[in-house]
Amino acid sequence: MKNEYNIESLIARFKNKDKIALAKLITIIENEPEKVSEVFKYFEEIKHDSYIIGITGSPGVGKSTLTGAISKKLLDEGNYVGVISIDPTSPFSGGAFLGDRIRMTNISLHPNLFMRSLASRGYKGGISRAAFDISMLYEAFGMDFIIIETVGVGQAELDIYNLAYSIVVVLVPGYGDAIQMQKAGIIEIGDIYDINKKDFGGEDIAAHIQMMLDDGIFHSGWRPPVSMTDAITGEGVDELIQNIWDHKEHVELSGIINEKKMNRFRYKIKELIYSKLESLVLTSIISQDEINSIVQRALNDNKFKIYQTIQDKFEDVDIQITEKK
Amino acid sequence: MSKPGIDGHWRGGIVVSRALRDAGMELIFGGFQNVKQIVEAAIQEDVDVIGLSIHSGAHLAYTQQIIDLLKEQGVLENIMILVGGVIPAKDFDKLKQMGVANVYGPGSMTSDIVEFIKTNLKK
Repeated sequence: MKNEYNIESLIARFKNKDKIALAKLITIIENEPEKVSEVFKYFEEIKHDSYIIGITGSPGVGKSTLTGAISKKLLDEGNYVGVISIDPTSPFSGGAFLGDRIRMTNISLHPNLFMRSLASRGYKGGISRAAFDISMLYEAFGMDFIIIETVGVGQAELDIYNLAYSIVVVLVPGYGDAIQMQKAGIIEIGDIYDINKKDFGGEDIAAHIQMMLDDGIFHSGWRPPVSMTDAITGEGVDELIQNIWDHKEHVELSGIINEKKMNRFRYKIKELIYSKLESLVLTSIISQDEINSIVQRALNDNKFKIYQTIQDKFEDVDIQITEKK
Repeated sequence: MSKPGIDGHWRGGIVVSRALRDAGMELIFGGFQNVKQIVEAAIQEDVDVIGLSIHSGAHLAYTQQIIDLLKEQGVLENIMILVGGVIPAKDFDKLKQMGVANVYGPGSMTSDIVEFIKTNLKK
């Protein structure tokens, strides 16, 4: 016989720091978006005091191993730590191979640690839709620190910028030349840079980063530090962690943290609005079938009128939103 | 998907994991873990299925320990356990009596594993 869980009984257990209840609530939030607001009804008065660290970088640079090393240090100091590790969902099967936890086996039994692997489920910004919601649950659970590890990113998956207060961009030797470092996107969002796998070299990458930073204007008064690590042996990890601490102190003392917290909430509110609008548009203005037939006409009937059709469609309708009585 | 204990043969676990991924499932690859770590991971990840890949000959002992721990935590009822690897046919029934849903020895088809999970997993 399977146990059935209802939200109310899970919340009661959650409030007693029951990890099983936390895990079940995460599953509900991830799989049943329509229940998210019901879950958070119970958490209207939570404090948003957890400090959120984001770890991002290309696939295979060592994000999970570093996440494990940073978590260990935090746990050693007596903190509660919640980890969210995201790996990509297959565009073909919808399945995912989540291989982040395997890098953190050495700390996995620590009583103050909770770690959850997430699949991106088609979400494009390097995280998953549920990452924000889970970070809120972690705050309600009383985590002192939350570490969000993004999927292995390329250049433009920047959503972590809207969630985390300190962002570590992890690079590896051979990453690229001075031109790569001048590009916009992922390479400019770091509060802290780390070049991992230093046993393969990487001094040139560090120099290129410093050069990139030399040209930067640091409005907040923080020049990102650059560390070099070998996450497996632990070499350099203390310096990286110190850099995170220094940045944390900087954002807290300068008050920048308030702007970052506001940004985090604005990001979620916008996402909620956009997803409502999208479903509203797809149900009442243009259906998926209509979109398919426009594509059909453009490809098969040599009538490429995508821009015109959409323009007309929105001109034809009168969008008027009135409050329900 | 995990390998309890010390046992370096991890190709089987990878092959099956890949098949499950390609069947549209979300698969957490735990690699080498001790029994406590496997149970803790299953709880935190709120898994539907635990897959144990064992080639060390210690399948009876490890599986029993994992089932006992799951029971202790009160989550056994919600988790299907599958065991695969070098498992002698004479032990299949012993494992099933412990509560293992199915056992896959050498020569098993990954498509059968996918089919079994899809058919028997009731949410």
